[in-house]
Amino acid sequence: MPLASSAEASRLAAVRRYAALETASGAAFDRVAALAARIFRAPFATVTIAGDDTVRVIAAHGLPPRRGLVESLCEAAVRHGGPYVVQDARLHPHAAGDPAVRGEPGIRFYAAALITTPDGEALGSVNVMDVRPREAGDEELACLRDLAGLVMDEFEVRLATHRTVEVERELRAGAERLARTLQRTLLPPALPRVPGLRAAAAYHPVSADEVGGDFYDLFPLDGDRWGFFLGDVCGKGAGAAALTSLVRYTLRAAAVYDADPHAVLANLDAVLQQEHAGGEAPAPYCTAVFGVLQPDGDGFGVTLATGGHPPALAVRANGAVEPIHPAGGQLIGILRNPHFAQVSARLNAGDALLLYTDGLTEARTPSGSMLDEDGLTAYLAAAGPTSADDLLTTVHDLITALGKGVSDDTAVLALSVPPATRTPSSGSLGAA
Amino acid sequence: MQHDNGLTVSLQSPSSGPRLLVVAGDLDHHTTPRLRAALDEVEFGPGADLVVDLSGLTFCDSTGIATLVAAHQRAADAAAALLLAGLNSDIARVFQIMGLDQLLRFYDSPEEAVRALSK
Repeated sequence: MPLASSAEASRLAAVRRYAALETASGAAFDRVAALAARIFRAPFATVTIAGDDTVRVIAAHGLPPRRGLVESLCEAAVRHGGPYVVQDARLHPHAAGDPAVRGEPGIRFYAAALITTPDGEALGSVNVMDVRPREAGDEELACLRDLAGLVMDEFEVRLATHRTVEVERELRAGAERLARTLQRTLLPPALPRVPGLRAAAAYHPVSADEVGGDFYDLFPLDGDRWGFFLGDVCGKGAGAAALTSLVRYTLRAAAVYDADPHAVLANLDAVLQQEHAGGEAPAPYCTAVFGVLQPDGDGFGVTLATGGHPPALAVRANGAVEPIHPAGGQLIGILRNPHFAQVSARLNAGDALLLYTDGLTEARTPSGSMLDEDGLTAYLAAAGPTSADDLLTTVHDLITALGKGVSDDTAVLALSVPPATRTPSSGSLGAA
Repeated sequence: MQHDNGLTVSLQSPSSGPRLLVVAGDLDHHTTPRLRAALDEVEFGPGADLVVDLSGLTFCDSTGIATLVAAHQRAADAAAALLLAGLNSDIARVFQIMGLDQLLRFYDSPEEAVRALSK
């Protein structure tokens, strides 16, 4: 018979609140049932939860009685609202006709103590059954109440654990969302189209959850000049992400006032030094390459400044790979009077330029040694990429091949000048 | 990548000559606070120099580098020398790319660093 009233509705809400009850079972409840049976010197005991349409037996000792009997007696106990004793089931209006009372195993005696939440809602009961009619002693009933209390305590612990896990899961999901959002703000959504130039960029994270401090951008300057940069902020996580944003926007803003690459890096250094003046040690810093592209004939003039960053590599139209690296550029943001080096070069038709972060060059090769600039140079020379997209694919293949040897995020920015289109008359195969 | 090599830091103060800080293992953001604490204990002054023996260093991340740079600046402020010795070639290469070879003095061994100070 279903229990129905507003009080029942709030009781069922309590049952649902203990969501952990859905999976409630286990040795602790089995022991409670066994102890209840022993205290009463009775053959059967159960722990039951009265849900909205079923009574669930979460632990049983001895021969489990037929479900119908358990259900009606547990419901009766819950409705009764206190210790509940049926001295002889054959005389009980609801139980007398039950097959488990009339036939096997012939239940006669039933006693229950309610499992009650701290705010007074009965979730179910600890039940004892015997095959002979009898009375329940005060001491036995007190023990049964204590056992029901133990079951409630166990539920409370499970609920608290369940909630903690839920909260942690939510926090973690929130942190991952934040990390992904921040990550997106650190990298430009798409590179602009630069006339006469191909540009491509990629970011190879080691972990999907952790925000790295790698950054890059390509953007218009005054006239027909373009600025670009790529770098790496030390550290990981939200702190590094915040610093990366600062670095990105400082580089963009500094280039508006004075696009001279050396001046841009000096400006960034001053901003980072101020940012961390008097802050806790060690002060965060970054490494970066900043460059300016100036269209020049069928190619571009490139002026590059670096601060503590691995060399940019030019892949020439003839397949040669060479560093474009001003010697001696130092870390940005933590040194006194740091030196930033600058160099000028040309990208001719068919040339490409690769900027990368040290996640690539500090990766371990299968032999255990660091890939380094030499390893990267040799790989590029062998692969012979001919465009920015090609370069990116080559680096992607290399990172894939290095596998677990890569231990840090890698950002890659590739620029290339399309090869000159040859007219038939300019070739060596003259008309015969 | 997991760096499981831990970190040991021990300071030796001989009766004569510079103090020697022996650092071995992995220097990363988990272990660097131990190096920082050890360096914070070192008082620098004119002639009160420090040689940091890094020959047992197997890994050094950005926080380790920042800590060494900060200690070097503190030593320089106190007119003392902080010398690095025994860096393996990979870590030396990273320091060089960062332009730290212009700032810090590297020696192949602690003995060489000590000799350089006694000149």
